[in-house]
Amino acid sequence: MLTATFYYMAAASVASALLAVTGKNPVHSMLWVLALFLHVAGIFLLLGAEFLAAVQVIVYAGAILIFYLFVVMLLDLPDEEARSRFGNHWPLAAGVGLSFAALAWLARVVTLDAARAGGGAPARERMAVGGPALGSLSEIGMALFGPFALPFELASVMLLAAIIGAVVLARKRAARS
Amino acid sequence: MMVPVGTVLGLSAVLFGIGAFGFLARRNIILMLVSVEVMLNAVNLSLAGFSRHLEDPRGQVLALFVIAVAAAEVGVGLGLVIALNRNKPGAGVTDLTELKW
Repeated sequence: MLTATFYYMAAASVASALLAVTGKNPVHSMLWVLALFLHVAGIFLLLGAEFLAAVQVIVYAGAILIFYLFVVMLLDLPDEEARSRFGNHWPLAAGVGLSFAALAWLARVVTLDAARAGGGAPARERMAVGGPALGSLSEIGMALFGPFALPFELASVMLLAAIIGAVVLARKRAARS
Repeated sequence: MMVPVGTVLGLSAVLFGIGAFGFLARRNIILMLVSVEVMLNAVNLSLAGFSRHLEDPRGQVLALFVIAVAAAEVGVGLGLVIALNRNKPGAGVTDLTELKW
């Protein structure tokens, strides 16, 4: 049952990603990307990453995608109707995308083979100690404020810089003599 | 029963390829940025898969940082798009050749 759900999620996310990338209407593309994000959140749930799934829905589907939709509707991009959808070099781009996918697939095969050959025993003994379940909020929180405290603070500084940068970039230039 | 980690990584590879193709082939600048989001999502997927496979929460923490960077990227990127559209209304990516030598 779980496997069938997973394969449905995988097929639906690939299909919606393809439709989003090749779609003609930008707003429809955004809605397909929304479907992709929700299906990826479902896969996160199946992988036991509940907090990641919640963040995916709230941040990606809730905030980022709505922001994109606002900008699409605000700008009324003209080049989608008058010109061709893809650049002239799209077969090259397809080749690059395929080779990226092939490279990642190769890396996956090599890694899994190495894991099988080397015993690849995952750290199961950690679970036996009786700590909180994997992916639970408390474990992620302990990691975030323990060994990852400095990157966490740096991420907040980066977000602040991004806020200021976005305001400066999008602000109307003041008519100063 | 567990979700097979190899399939998750394969799905991540396919999604990343789709995103790379979209970023290189599309001419709409907003859809190019969305393709970057698809690629980042593929990376998050593989991080969560590895986190499950190795039973280590650090993968999920890393995915959280990726989401934070994606949020920052969206803010700056769309700010750039708005500034671009204000300075050159109706300009597509093929018209932006000032830096071409």
